[in-house]
Amino acid sequence: MWKQIRDREAAKIRPDSFANRIKSNRIAQLQLSNYKDIATPHKGAINSLQIDLTEGRYLLSAASDASVAVYDVQRATDYDAGGLISRHKCIFVVDKQHELGHKYSISSAIWYPVDTGLFVTGSYDHHINVWDTNTTQVVMNFKMPGKVYRTAMSSLATSHMLIAAGTEDVQVRLCDIASGAFAHTLSGHRDGVMTAEWSTSSEWVLITGGCDGAIRFWDIRRAGCFLVLDQSRTQLGTRPPILKRSMMTKETKSRAAQRKLANGSGSKHSPIGRVPAKGHAKQRLHPGLLSSQDRATAHYGAVTGLKITEDSMYLLSAGSDSRLRLWDIESGCDTLVNFETLRLQSSKPIQLATTPDSAFVFVPCMRSVKVFDMWSGNTRTTFRGHYECVNSCWFSVDDQELYTGGNDRQILVWSPARLITDELNEGPAEDQDNWSN
Amino acid sequence: MAMEDEARVQGNKARALIEKATNSTAPEVDPRLLKAIKSVVRYSDSELRVAAQTLMDFMKRDHSQVRYLSLLIIDELFMRSKLFRSLVVENLDQLLSLSIGFRRNLPLPAPPAVATNLRSKAIEFLEKWNVSFGVYYRQIRLGYDYLKNTLRLQFPNIQANSARIQQERRERERRSKEILLNKYEYLKENLSSIKGEIELTVGEIGECLDILRSKDELISDDILDEEEREEFRSFELKQLRHDALKEGEKVHENNDNKVVFDALRELYKLLVTRHLVSIQEWISVLIRIETVDTTFRDSTLKELIDIQNDLKSVKKKCEEAGCSLTNKPKHDEEEDFWEEGNAVSIETTTSSAPNNNNGNLDVASASHKVNDPTHGSSCKKSIGSAHEDKEVQSNSPRSKLLAEAPVVKWGTYLDDWGSNRVFMANQRGLELENHWGRVDIDAVIPSDKIAELNVQATIYEEKKIEIQPCRAPLRNGALCQRRDLKICPFHGPIVPRDDDGKPLNQTPSEDNMNIDLGTDDLVRQLAKQAVKNIREEDNRLARQRQIDKQELKRAKLAKIREHNEAVLRDAALASTSRSATLGEDTEGTDAEKRSSRDKEQNLSSMLRKKVTSKDRIAQKLLNSRVTDATIRQHVSSQEAKYKEAFPNQW
Repeated sequence: MWKQIRDREAAKIRPDSFANRIKSNRIAQLQLSNYKDIATPHKGAINSLQIDLTEGRYLLSAASDASVAVYDVQRATDYDAGGLISRHKCIFVVDKQHELGHKYSISSAIWYPVDTGLFVTGSYDHHINVWDTNTTQVVMNFKMPGKVYRTAMSSLATSHMLIAAGTEDVQVRLCDIASGAFAHTLSGHRDGVMTAEWSTSSEWVLITGGCDGAIRFWDIRRAGCFLVLDQSRTQLGTRPPILKRSMMTKETKSRAAQRKLANGSGSKHSPIGRVPAKGHAKQRLHPGLLSSQDRATAHYGAVTGLKITEDSMYLLSAGSDSRLRLWDIESGCDTLVNFETLRLQSSKPIQLATTPDSAFVFVPCMRSVKVFDMWSGNTRTTFRGHYECVNSCWFSVDDQELYTGGNDRQILVWSPARLITDELNEGPAEDQDNWSN
Repeated sequence: MAMEDEARVQGNKARALIEKATNSTAPEVDPRLLKAIKSVVRYSDSELRVAAQTLMDFMKRDHSQVRYLSLLIIDELFMRSKLFRSLVVENLDQLLSLSIGFRRNLPLPAPPAVATNLRSKAIEFLEKWNVSFGVYYRQIRLGYDYLKNTLRLQFPNIQANSARIQQERRERERRSKEILLNKYEYLKENLSSIKGEIELTVGEIGECLDILRSKDELISDDILDEEEREEFRSFELKQLRHDALKEGEKVHENNDNKVVFDALRELYKLLVTRHLVSIQEWISVLIRIETVDTTFRDSTLKELIDIQNDLKSVKKKCEEAGCSLTNKPKHDEEEDFWEEGNAVSIETTTSSAPNNNNGNLDVASASHKVNDPTHGSSCKKSIGSAHEDKEVQSNSPRSKLLAEAPVVKWGTYLDDWGSNRVFMANQRGLELENHWGRVDIDAVIPSDKIAELNVQATIYEEKKIEIQPCRAPLRNGALCQRRDLKICPFHGPIVPRDDDGKPLNQTPSEDNMNIDLGTDDLVRQLAKQAVKNIREEDNRLARQRQIDKQELKRAKLAKIREHNEAVLRDAALASTSRSATLGEDTEGTDAEKRSSRDKEQNLSSMLRKKVTSKDRIAQKLLNSRVTDATIRQHVSSQEAKYKEAFPNQW
């Protein structure tokens, strides 16, 4: 640590690499934080957590008792035990008492990516509400055809304000905040859609995972999905071997050419064992919708969680088959990283988190949170602290802290160990051995 | 490698100790083993790690007792070692689910009694840990919070309870202080009136005493004059005279000064029951009070103490004047007095019948007479002093004799007790002459004949003996409370046992002997009792005859004893399943069996289900033979019913 500082002083290492080293060091030290308590007002399981993307300061939590709360994670409201423990109480809470509040469990709550003035909640009472943070009033309301599992907004979007909503319904709907109407309905899934995630590289690309086990990539400017992930298409390692790669690139090139002709379609991914009689009907369909015929699955059972890496090259998916798969988005192949045995909650969507350098992935595994090395799949640590199933993880990039929420109504903070325990003399006596004689 | 090996060896030590400590059925960890574990673990971190791991392993055992003992050890180490805490806290949720069993899919294992114990203990420990270390470990706070607020388990809430008790005590103290302060204020205001009242009483008493003394002087002067004429040379005599004079100075109540005495007594009573008590109270108030203004307190205290001393002296004077407090209700006094009189009269009747061959009694009566003047001096003698009198006498020879003396039934013969009077046979107020011819008027019945006639027959009453309970140890730890004369049908012959129910005599043969001796003893005692009684009765019978009789009786009793023993033996045979001869050695084998059972009681035996009476009944009723028989019976009865209902269908 001190050596790094000296190197930085001597300008031997660049500022960003210095920062990254410090950060990765801190991430490696994550443990249950003793000095940061988040006092939840929720009376039910916590389904979703998000820290705002602009300031990295306000934590939004949604719970199954139809309440949403916002906390300031940087400034504590009060202190316990002589200043040792900082307690973060919620700034405000919206619950059933609110006249326009949700009636049933809120499955997802997200910040408006541009500022903290708005947030969006999706609930099992079939509604998506858009709230004004300052007045805690509903400014917009979308009625969905079924329970809302997941809402997502693109953090890159500059030309649209769409909320992608995964619901019980087979269609993925895009709700436009600007107009207050459904902009698109994306159909292709054969069952409800549990998760939805916007690409981190393109504002038009949406990824959805359904209860049918399929993961579909949508370009919202075009009809139909352009990629369906298939668990049988695999590649060894994170990048295809060079030989294959050249082949692949060729293929993709040709594919791109083909796409130009066929106005973009996923039909070429269709498995060989397709019934030939259907070929005729396929021709009749709109070429963009041909992909809806593709029944390839990414998981056996439902896809419960999706997480795209920061560089938008890889996709992590969790399924109710208790598998975690790492996909190469470019090739659409499973990279066959074996994430060590784990058991995942299958009834609810789960929220995964990755570190910004994509080194680790945090996965809620029943009562614990496991930290996997993304590229080898080895378990790095297991965070135990929750007494019931964990539903969501959120990694705060600025503070290198992990927030987890579970069915035991707790939001736990996992933070790097404090380097300097400041004001020790002020706090209570230090924890010590206490042997008699 | 060597280091690792060493660590493993060391670890084995901790592991072995823990294994030994948890392999027990006791409700506590053996303190010696616990101490050993602590000392092993204290000086070596690797040992501590091994111990933590081992304890967690033991917590997973499918036996509540093992988990319970492990939990106790965990608590001991947890309260002491920081490293251990940090190790345990990592897996706190697992530890809690294993010890409290709050997960539905992981209930606590058998035996259920220990499991409930384990649960309550674990909850208690968690609370304790939370209080002491919750600040340092988020996990503990989380666990506590989860169990308390989500699962809503009942915590004993030790801290809050103690705080509440403290609060209550403080409240009480405050209230008593307030009361004290109020009293103090009252005293401040009313001190002069209190003093005035007391002074008034004291003054009145003084007046009364003055009156009495003035009357006194007239009499005593007389006496003095009279006595001065005589001469006393020796010092002793002078002393005696002085005492007598003093005694004479005491004014006795008579018709003249009765009113004064009454008034004095009244005032005295007031003084003792009210003023003295109140002064005492005020003094205690002043002592206890805490005020800023100490001058008033000190001066008042001084004053009060002076008053108290004053009052005491006045009281003494009153007592000297012959006034003692009799604050008991009147009828009570009478009753007591009557009793007293009765006792005296009895004593006099018994003692005023001097017997030739009963010199002791004479002595007693003499001593009694010596005491008499003080004893029955006046009717005003207070009860208290009478009691004192009795106490003083309690170790005099008379009382000893009284204790020994036989209790005799009351009868007319007591009138002539011990008298050697002869009775005129024909002077009974009956005119017999004319009817039956000449009568010798001077005919006498000699005293020995009278004595013979007055011989009292008493019925021998057997002393009631409480039958001792058997007191053999039962399986539930209690003692058998059956009261059988000789042999308990469940535990054999009744022998003296200590508090644990172990027989006091070890060997069975001795035991048996003891029983015989016991019966022997008992019978002899009976005999003695009887003989004693009879001897007292036949006091006047000739020695020789008495001895003869005694011997005869003894022989008879011996015979009875033998008979009794035979009967008892038969009874024992009848009442126990074992024969008496077998019973001799059953005690030993029984004890052995029990001890072997104790030894056998280990962890696996705790899991074994107890065979209850219900089980036994079920075994009897639900075996196939019985069920078959029942079914057969049922079928046949139904058939019979059917035939009855439809007699012409067949």
